[in-house]
Amino acid sequence: MDKKFYLTKEGLERFKKEYQTLKLLKLAKLKGEAPKILHSDEMSAEYLAFKEDMDLLESRLFELEYILKNFVLIKKPPKEKQDIVDLGATVVVGVNGQEDEFTIVGTLEADPSIGKISNESPVGKALLGHKVGDEVVVSSPNKTIYKIKRIIYKVS
Amino acid sequence: MEKILDFLINVGKLKGKKRRGWVLHQIKNPETTAEHIFHLAILVWVLGRKKKLNLERAIKIALVHDLCEVYAPDLTPYDPLLPKNKNKIIETLKKWPKFTPALKIKKEKEKSKLETRGIDRLIKKLPKDLKKEMKTLWIDLQKGLTKEARFVKQADKVINFLQGMEYWRKYGKIQRKLWIRWIKETIDDPVLLDFIKTLENKFYKKKK
Repeated sequence: MDKKFYLTKEGLERFKKEYQTLKLLKLAKLKGEAPKILHSDEMSAEYLAFKEDMDLLESRLFELEYILKNFVLIKKPPKEKQDIVDLGATVVVGVNGQEDEFTIVGTLEADPSIGKISNESPVGKALLGHKVGDEVVVSSPNKTIYKIKRIIYKVS
Repeated sequence: MEKILDFLINVGKLKGKKRRGWVLHQIKNPETTAEHIFHLAILVWVLGRKKKLNLERAIKIALVHDLCEVYAPDLTPYDPLLPKNKNKIIETLKKWPKFTPALKIKKEKEKSKLETRGIDRLIKKLPKDLKKEMKTLWIDLQKGLTKEARFVKQADKVINFLQGMEYWRKYGKIQRKLWIRWIKETIDDPVLLDFIKTLENKFYKKKK
């Protein structure tokens, strides 16, 4: 079974743009031309890496094609369900006597260092389906309790 | 050959560079950056086998991942909250560092900029093909362009967690609960999650 990739609208746009750019880059490389993208403001470190490494370019294109065929768009839930944690929710929690804030996203957009946690991480997974006031326990031998204080949907 | 010699002399400096996070925790004889890189490369090799990875690429990414620290600072999640008074640092480490989402993004950008500058300086004089390879692996890790890079990025956190639990068992100076919370917010790779479960069971039973 194909894996499903949960993406926000912004994430999807970013992957689509990367795919289009890399296709142009590959075409230019095959023709032996200097790709226009590398002379534009859009030039970034990753495109330079792809310029240097054709295998990396091919494998990234293959992966992007797979992602774009198997994505599920994260949408804002209807109003009556916005009190429940779902993908795309920004959740304010109380944990170990401190307040913290996460946005729950799919694995490809997760970046815990900036507060985006994966729905497949133990904490992300445990928070899903809960409401404000719920105490969510994440445990194995050790127990951590997350008290949900607020749920906000910033996704469109 | 001389350029490669210079590069190796510089990389060798990481053998003596104590990891700043452990120094802040006042750990006696803390792990160095080179020891951390070695430990990560081994973890990537032995756990990466359980996934369909290009292991050569993954291990090379692990080897490159902290070379920037020859020139770049070894930043911790607590920067810039750390007080100047060394005695007060331990108090700061008892709570998880709290920043606004905007500040988290700013901090990550600055860290990435400093580290990229560090790796660029380190590999600057290497032969062109080697320089290209190292820079491409570095960019891959920063941007998570391949499944190998994404695995190494999470494995880096896991090997740090293992070291933290070892220090907790030995010295008790680590805020174990904060570390466990952090790792469960950070990791989503099934192989690494399985490893963490085994690790927790082993360390929790022993200390109890």
